[in-house]
Amino acid sequence: MTQATKQTRTHDSDVRYRTARNTAAVGAVFAAVFTALLTANLIGSGVLGPWRENRLAAMKLRVQKEPANQELVAQIRQLDLKIRRDRFWRLDFARKATFMLLGSVVVLLVVGGIAGKMRKALPRPQHQPDMGQMQMEEAKRARLAVAGALAVLVIGGLLVAMSGWVRFIQAEDSGPAFATVDEMRQQWPRFRGPGGAGISAYANIPTQWNGKTGEGIAWKSKTPLPGRNSPVVWKDRVFLSGADPNHRQVYCFDAATGQLLWTGDVPTVPLPKGTELKVMEDTGYAPSTVATDGRRLYAIFPAGDAAGFDFQGRRLWHRNLGLPDNSYGYASSLETYEKLVLIQYDQGDGKEGKSRFVALDGRTGKITWEAKRETPNSWTTPIVVDVAGRPQLITVAKPFIISYNPAHGAELWRAECVGGDVAPSPIYAGGLVIAVEPYSQVVAVKPTGQGNVTKTHVAWRMEDSGPDICSPVSDGKYVYTLESGGLLLCCNVEDGKKLYEMDLKEECRASPSIVGDKLYLLDMKGIMHIAQVGPEYKEIARCELGEECFASPAFADGRMYLRGAENLYCIGKAP
Amino acid sequence: MTRWARITAFIIVLQTLSLDALGELRFPPPEFESGYRFPQTTSPAARSAVYEYVDAAVLLATLLLATYLILKRRSRRAVYALMIFALLYFGFWRDGCICPIGAIQNVTLTVFDSGYAIPISAGIFFVLPLVFTLFVGRTFCGAVCPLGAIQDAVLLHPVAVPRWLESGLRLGAYTYLGTAVLFAAIGNSFLICRYDPFIGFFRLTGNWNVLIIGTALLLIGLFIGRPYCRFLCPYGVLLRQMSRLSKWRVTITPNECIKCRLCEGACPFGAIREPTGDWPQGEYKIAKRRLALFLLLLPILVVSGGWGGYTLKERLARVHPKVRTAERVYLEETGKVEGTTNASKAFRATGRTSEELYQEATAIRGRFALGGALLGGFIGLVVAGKLVALSVQRRRSDYEADRAGCFACGRCYQYCPKERERWNKSKEVVAGR
Repeated sequence: MTQATKQTRTHDSDVRYRTARNTAAVGAVFAAVFTALLTANLIGSGVLGPWRENRLAAMKLRVQKEPANQELVAQIRQLDLKIRRDRFWRLDFARKATFMLLGSVVVLLVVGGIAGKMRKALPRPQHQPDMGQMQMEEAKRARLAVAGALAVLVIGGLLVAMSGWVRFIQAEDSGPAFATVDEMRQQWPRFRGPGGAGISAYANIPTQWNGKTGEGIAWKSKTPLPGRNSPVVWKDRVFLSGADPNHRQVYCFDAATGQLLWTGDVPTVPLPKGTELKVMEDTGYAPSTVATDGRRLYAIFPAGDAAGFDFQGRRLWHRNLGLPDNSYGYASSLETYEKLVLIQYDQGDGKEGKSRFVALDGRTGKITWEAKRETPNSWTTPIVVDVAGRPQLITVAKPFIISYNPAHGAELWRAECVGGDVAPSPIYAGGLVIAVEPYSQVVAVKPTGQGNVTKTHVAWRMEDSGPDICSPVSDGKYVYTLESGGLLLCCNVEDGKKLYEMDLKEECRASPSIVGDKLYLLDMKGIMHIAQVGPEYKEIARCELGEECFASPAFADGRMYLRGAENLYCIGKAP
Repeated sequence: MTRWARITAFIIVLQTLSLDALGELRFPPPEFESGYRFPQTTSPAARSAVYEYVDAAVLLATLLLATYLILKRRSRRAVYALMIFALLYFGFWRDGCICPIGAIQNVTLTVFDSGYAIPISAGIFFVLPLVFTLFVGRTFCGAVCPLGAIQDAVLLHPVAVPRWLESGLRLGAYTYLGTAVLFAAIGNSFLICRYDPFIGFFRLTGNWNVLIIGTALLLIGLFIGRPYCRFLCPYGVLLRQMSRLSKWRVTITPNECIKCRLCEGACPFGAIREPTGDWPQGEYKIAKRRLALFLLLLPILVVSGGWGGYTLKERLARVHPKVRTAERVYLEETGKVEGTTNASKAFRATGRTSEELYQEATAIRGRFALGGALLGGFIGLVVAGKLVALSVQRRRSDYEADRAGCFACGRCYQYCPKERERWNKSKEVVAGR
């Protein structure tokens, strides 16, 4: 090869290298330009866009106040159009510029790579080390590297282990399943206390207070949402519920201070199409009193939403029983038996098979047993009572008083003896189940039979009274009924013989209660009429709360809790 | 243009390539006062099923061609051209889906979920490269995989990763494989697809986090050849094992190795193995004891790994959307967080009780107890296996492409004088004709 040929080849090689290098440079310049344009586009849409959108939002707010301002409307339309045009233009530009950028990068990479290869040095192996020693060292380092990688994985695992996770408080974890019967008797775990009897376990309840002056009032706390349900007391806590059309809540108050300890929300499910939630003003959105088994709190609302909470306010479960077909709105309160939550879910006209009695596992909200009922919608609250050592679940709804075994729902007996839209709940006193047929009669049935006992076990009927809302109360000797118009009637438990009538001349919604030898009668104005228990009416005191009252009182040791229209009161000495 | 200037420019370009993703912002539809009817929303028609077979046919054809070009033709240029075609077809044209790497999850789900039927294309994409690798080595990696191709294309200035370090880093791929299989089997999550680092580039849009991961891998890939393939690719783990058994595979020299050592630095992926030497005197006894120790360590690592995985069951289970929803619902219901999420709202709209959700979540956690234990045990087994393998002396007399690690890219051919000799001879034969 001649010198001239060599020089020509070198020259050609240089030309090719310079061409490749310059082309790569052009690619780089293009890439840089498109990068800058894309960045500017991004900044433009990130800064200008939100600024214009905020302006548009402000103008839209303004136009709500000035709906007749046509000039402003035109400006809004113009700006809206501008924003949209600008956005689409930027998106289109970004797409095109990205492709151009990609092309530039490809040119840069390919031609740059070619240029690089033209100047690539040939391999020049260096002095070869001792392969055996080197490979042994290498294997040693590799083992350390594997161990290091394992250490990294372990550290990673530890970091993951340190991250939080949520432990679902399962009912099984939340302590003993339920309180004992003796414990329950000392508390006020449901509507009208243990067994729904309306009898305080404590006789030391105040007989003197005044809500207006604050005399005898330990504390007064506002209830966040309204409700006609009554308070429930378990040791140092007072529970009740409240609701409006959009919210359903349960509240836990500190029994000593009235401080709201927690609020539990109960969700609902969307109503089926073409249906609506019907409630009366008299009952509202939270008519049902909550219940506790001493471990958990249960609540139910008119749309069929039942829920269980632990005492720390954690919702354990929620179950929707289906929107009840109820002409005045569902209002029955809950009862408990051991770990079961007992729900009387009467609805419809009784012929459609909609009514049922449901027992939920209080720990999980799952149905433990269910009993079909041929009763129409009712508003009574079931009671669980001990009849000669055997628990009975007593329900009242037109036309039956039905007794079930609360453990598994088997029917024990029934008596066809009540009619009408029944709201007063039954009581068990003097060995008799006493129920009320509104505007008609009070009826007593011996709970000792089996099957249909209508003809054999109805002890007496008293047709001089028939409260439509308030439940009766009895000390075991006398039965007292209170009509919503304020007429109090007393009769013998034994034979239903009327002993006296007394017109309180006030509207009443709260059911009467017995504290020791005293009868507590609360009217709607918030005045408590305290009378002597006995065959004659003898008033002892009248105490004014100064707030409308619809709910029945709850009693604890030395204290009484009253729910006014807006506030919860603790009357007596705070614990 | 200097090399560093090119690299700097490329880094800037790569970073800004992903900026387009931010442009995909949504805003509400226009507010029209009256008379306007919104056009009916239409969905693009599903891709015709025939294209699945077309994709499978293209895969088969490219694998066959790659095998020919790598083993018979021994042409790096042709392999590179095929690789670019695969990048364009499987990457940019088919948007990086379907790929054999992701198909691992389809296959896993088929095994663990009787209600899931694997798409035939996914099955073919999973099996074909494995079968080819079993016979001819990793020709799929060298010329057909779009993920490998995009990394190969950006490799500008290869820097050798010390082989010992590579041994440690490769554990990442095994961990990724085990985790991906676990999550696909019981986590209801396709981890590999969700974190496919390059799919954002193929589709020119994507999740911002994944784009950052992809950009980072490509930036690393400027200097370190195919970092994803070597240290992360879960399918690569399977291919490595298949390739170890392959009957035919890449050889640096077409006939005999003359130990010229010219090929020593040829492979940017560190897959050329030099002839072995004798260990120093006295090392054999230590090596035997070490080997025995690691063999004893094997069950310990497996059991402790299994225990570690088991203890992480609640955390691992959070990958399952149902568990995440249950946790969120629980936190909302117990007042530990304020507000709701789309998931918790959607759950409540179902009308199911939260208790049911908690029970399902608890059951999933239970499945993760076993799954986590298996994953931990698998990682323990891999670590122990590696330690054992690194304690055994190898015997090699020639310079060879590593059976498991060679990507069959064909770069090393041109460094071999024997290959050049063969090439010149064949050119002479062609010229003589």
